[in-house]
Amino acid sequence: MSGEPLLEQRYRRVLRLLPGYYRERWEEDMVAAFLDSWLTGDPYTDECVLEFCKPAWQEVASVVLLAARLYLGGAGAPRRYFAWGQAVRFTMLALLMVHAVRGLDGLRLVFLERGLHPLGSVPAPPAAMAPMPGIAWPAGVWYLAGYAWIVIFVALVLGHYRAARVLAVMAAVIDLVWLAQGQLTGALLSPYGSWAFWILCDLVPVLAMAAFHRDAPPVTRRPWLLALPANYLLVAVPELAATATGHQAWVPDLPGLSCILVAVLCLAHAPKALSGRASGSVWSLTLVLLAAVAAAYRIISLGDHLQGHYLQDPHLIAVGLAELVTLIAAVALITPDAGRAQTAMPAPPAQPQPG
Amino acid sequence: MTGQAFFVLTALADGPRHGYGIVGEVAELSQGRVKLKIGSLYGVLDRLASAGLIEPDREEAHDGRLRRYYRLTRDGRGALAEEAELRAATARVVRARLARPGPQAAG
Repeated sequence: MSGEPLLEQRYRRVLRLLPGYYRERWEEDMVAAFLDSWLTGDPYTDECVLEFCKPAWQEVASVVLLAARLYLGGAGAPRRYFAWGQAVRFTMLALLMVHAVRGLDGLRLVFLERGLHPLGSVPAPPAAMAPMPGIAWPAGVWYLAGYAWIVIFVALVLGHYRAARVLAVMAAVIDLVWLAQGQLTGALLSPYGSWAFWILCDLVPVLAMAAFHRDAPPVTRRPWLLALPANYLLVAVPELAATATGHQAWVPDLPGLSCILVAVLCLAHAPKALSGRASGSVWSLTLVLLAAVAAAYRIISLGDHLQGHYLQDPHLIAVGLAELVTLIAAVALITPDAGRAQTAMPAPPAQPQPG
Repeated sequence: MTGQAFFVLTALADGPRHGYGIVGEVAELSQGRVKLKIGSLYGVLDRLASAGLIEPDREEAHDGRLRRYYRLTRDGRGALAEEAELRAATARVVRARLARPGPQAAG
């Protein structure tokens, strides 16, 4: 490589972002086309170009986008990349569902404020759900961003990827502004947890929406659409009921709830994964990714308890660590199967769409 | 078929071209509206090759480097003709509608 011009070396470094099988097939061709796009035929100019120029950011961006599409494979991709693509798509849907459930809870609050709630006397919303005091932005904007995640989730399930992407960027920006305002005014109750939630459930899904590209197989609509109300009924409603009956102390915070839910899902999936019957399914890999997100959320949000930002109870740190250990133990059961799923899952659909 | 794929197939319609040759031809065909980056071009070429619409034609040495040329396959020619007909039919419908007397445009 040392004999190659610097411009070529720089471009080849960028191309290292692409999977090996793809580089093997296209790298030399891409390098030749790239250099053709720079060279003028004038020896002096070309010497300067080869020595001093760097690939433009648009060129780098086009390679990054190509790499994202190849690693998060769809139709026609090698099995390993197809498995990763499917696992990331399922993980993103699950994260967006968390958002959508919060959006549904926001709708409940609206009904509650207008006296339309069927339970009528349900207590005020948890502090983490309420608009922060001292913030200039109208609370309606924040609520609208919350509802938008319901639309984003449904749009993604129905295959309207571009609309979902645009709306997700807008909602994530509103959430970011809201958080930044809260941080600056000191109104954030749990800064570590709030920022972790934004990074893991806003920023990561917005970036990982690249997995929903033209070659991605369509989402199976019915189970995912049913999962949203089911999730609300099975998780949010019992939480509300516990709060309404004065058993709030038994309700874990959102990071804890995430750990418990993912651990339960891992345990439910473990018999299948351990028996080897799950090989070929991408669910083990999806659950490992979800566990990584839940664990990161739990670990970062413990900072709020350690710093005394939120609910200064030393027991909460012990509870948080117990949730973390439970999650790790549960996910350990399915991790070997997640490794096998990368090679053993059925072949992806053969033909990508032209273009 | 995406606009990029349509232009790439059109660029190959009158003969084989190498990577950068396709970029230049697409820019010319689209009157500068479509400027393919190399990463985007090879994403499109990979899809078209996987779908059997293009195939390698030959390799030629140029400045100590091999340039690979691509050509349309029979399926590629058929797909391009079909897409062109579809787009032409759409354009005919649009022109017919615009020719009808209708409400004056605002502004």
